[in-house]
Amino acid sequence: MKPKRKKLITTLLVAVAVIAVIAGLYLYAGKEPFIRTTLSGLTLGSLFFMVAAGLSLIFGLMDVLNFAHGALFMLGAYMGWQLYTNPTFIFGMLPTVTAFTCGVLVSPVIKPFLIRWELPEQWQKTLPKIAYVLAIVLLILAFLNFNIMELASTAMVAATTTMVGNPLAEITPQEPLAQFWYRPVLLIISGLLVAFASSKPGVKTEFAPKEDLLKKAVPSILLFALTIIATLFRESAPIAILLMNGNLRFLIAIFVAVAFGFMFGALIEITLIRPLYVRPFFIVLMTLGLSFVIRELVQLLWDPLAYQMVRPPLFAQSGKAASLLEWLQNGNATINISGVTFPTYRLFVILLGFLMFVIVTIIMTKSRLGMIIRAGVQDPQMVEALGINVKRVFTFVFAFGVALATLGGIGAGPFLPIQPLMGDQFQMLGFITVVIGGMGSYVGAFVGAIILGMGRAFGDYFALKLSLSPAVSEASTVIIMVIVLLIKPQGLFGKKE
Amino acid sequence: MKEKIPREDILIVDNIHTFIGQFHILEGVSVRVPKGSITVLLGRNGAGKTTTLKSILGLTPPQEGKVIFEGAEIQGKRAFNVANLGIGYVPEHRAIFRALSVLENLKLAERKKGDFERSADFIFELFPDLKRLSKLPGNHLSGGQQQMLAVARALVPENKLLLIDEPSEGLAPILIQQMMEAIRVLSEKTTILLVEQNFIMASQLAQQFVIIDDGQSVRDGSMTDLVNDTGMIHQYLGASIKTRKELEMEHEAQA
Ligand SMILES: Nc1ncnc2c1ncn2[C@@H]1O[C@H](COP(=O)(O)OP(=O)(O)O)[C@@H](O)[C@H]1O
Ligand SMILES: [Mg+2]
Repeated sequence: MKPKRKKLITTLLVAVAVIAVIAGLYLYAGKEPFIRTTLSGLTLGSLFFMVAAGLSLIFGLMDVLNFAHGALFMLGAYMGWQLYTNPTFIFGMLPTVTAFTCGVLVSPVIKPFLIRWELPEQWQKTLPKIAYVLAIVLLILAFLNFNIMELASTAMVAATTTMVGNPLAEITPQEPLAQFWYRPVLLIISGLLVAFASSKPGVKTEFAPKEDLLKKAVPSILLFALTIIATLFRESAPIAILLMNGNLRFLIAIFVAVAFGFMFGALIEITLIRPLYVRPFFIVLMTLGLSFVIRELVQLLWDPLAYQMVRPPLFAQSGKAASLLEWLQNGNATINISGVTFPTYRLFVILLGFLMFVIVTIIMTKSRLGMIIRAGVQDPQMVEALGINVKRVFTFVFAFGVALATLGGIGAGPFLPIQPLMGDQFQMLGFITVVIGGMGSYVGAFVGAIILGMGRAFGDYFALKLSLSPAVSEASTVIIMVIVLLIKPQGLFGKKE
Repeated sequence: MKEKIPREDILIVDNIHTFIGQFHILEGVSVRVPKGSITVLLGRNGAGKTTTLKSILGLTPPQEGKVIFEGAEIQGKRAFNVANLGIGYVPEHRAIFRALSVLENLKLAERKKGDFERSADFIFELFPDLKRLSKLPGNHLSGGQQQMLAVARALVPENKLLLIDEPSEGLAPILIQQMMEAIRVLSEKTTILLVEQNFIMASQLAQQFVIIDDGQSVRDGSMTDLVNDTGMIHQYLGASIKTRKELEMEHEAQA
């Protein structure tokens, strides 16, 4: 009874304090500035949450501090922007990616046979090494003379010439098929070599049943088909996309950014993080290094410039909408909310943040996966002992966390300048959000993000009103963190441990 | 004419060596578990009983030696693969999932869809308390209830072998009785490898014993022989044996 009563009293006290702060701000600032500042705070909070949600999930389950999260947020923005502005680069690269993956994913099909192979111990070690070397050689051969830079430049050109609702739909000439076809072929072979080597031929202690081989072959077969389609439609697919309605294109851009984040996240977890779980400090260094690599690659491909993504038509028409319905009909750039003029795209960012929170909540509380994650946060060994492949769950959660970041990136795309450093500030604020909310709690990440966003927005408001230094808003973050940690060292929703 | 039925061992642990970090924890443990009975691992605190169970399951894989389950070698396999062969695990210290409700704890243990529906009646008959508490989160359960849940969790899928680690640890005497009864009922369906410090409970339940001392299996045999061999009991189990009286006193002291 006693702890229950204590909890009730704390909840009441917190509620009273929160209401008091809100009422105080409302009375002090007045209705319109209050609403405007609150909406700005929610916009920022939404963006913080998009980064913090993945950070928090990944840290909660795997104890991995992902310092590349901000860079991945940025990469999501770039991918979405590419697709939206001129997807020539994405479709030009697609066949090579699917071809290689198609080869690699043959591994589960051939592994059951390879490990039963009678092979002298010496060959068990050298054969995979030879295969890896050959795979790299083929990889290099496949990309030799491939003009990636030119593919990348198409969106840069488009970005400087595109008008709203008037996309650039000209054919960007690409390598003719007669010249291109050998690249995917080499990449499939290279992928097959990787599949061969990673299957550990001849190693009897490996475990792989010969069951469901057909089912395991499905991803590879699908990717093979996709490779052929992607190869044939390298030039026409971008045009088809550019001729679409801008809103639809933006929806596809979101989808592409999320799918890219998920796959790239899975790749990072499997190849870079998995070998390092026993050395957590190395993971920090590795993700930090990865963030630099991503940033440099982006700068190499698209120059160290800032791009402004054109807003989709739904948020682009001039004039102020009086209601939500009018906005959805006309696609106004601003909307009237209780007398405050507010950009509709920011409203969209807020909605996106809340939507992400709802999705994460449903997954965490209603699905078996969420159950596994909540159990795994406490005791991954016991989850494994129940017969659940925890390694695969780790991969999934990392991929999911990265997908949330890339979703945040494309969500921010039409609203923030797209440039290589755009994720850095969110990386820092994401970490602080997670610390305030409590490590590993997605609810905490949500509440923490809103508090930080409000702190920023009202900090800016007071700085302007009382002519204080604009640093007040930035200082608010640290002040909030200090206060929270003094009262609750484990964070608002953190578990004592 | 009578034919001798050959003893069939569902699990054979053959001279395993396990390292945790650089520590050589198990230095030659061999255990045979005959099908359809209860075998108990005895030994002092820190002797290596828990590590033996974890090595069987693959949570701390043995570097040397063999683990043979139903005739097939399983050492070196990942733990989830081992569990899916039909081995249930009840860890020590009631390691249930505190953030999950009782129902979720049980549902999580499903290996196939519908496992829980199939076994729910049996589980709730064995532990009626759990049915009443099914909506509560794990961290709201008492110690005894958590232990029941930990055992119940291993009963959700169909298992051929249960590894149960100190189910009576820290339980009140009346709950120990209930737990003993439950394990006896279980042993009618499943083979059990038990770790138990409570010698009275162990001797009443198990048919075979294996003594582990300092990371090695030093003695094994039938339980009836051990009960009559006070010399052996005192040599290897000595301080770790608690009589019922001691347990009751301990509980009074706690209360
Ligand atoms: N994670 C670990 N790191 C280092 N030593 C360990 C670890 N786990 C167990 N040990 C050591 O291994 C020995 C056997 O432990 P355990 O199998 O838990 O014993 P028992 O279950 O018989 O009480 C003990 O000496 C213990 O200190
Ligand atoms: Mg133990």
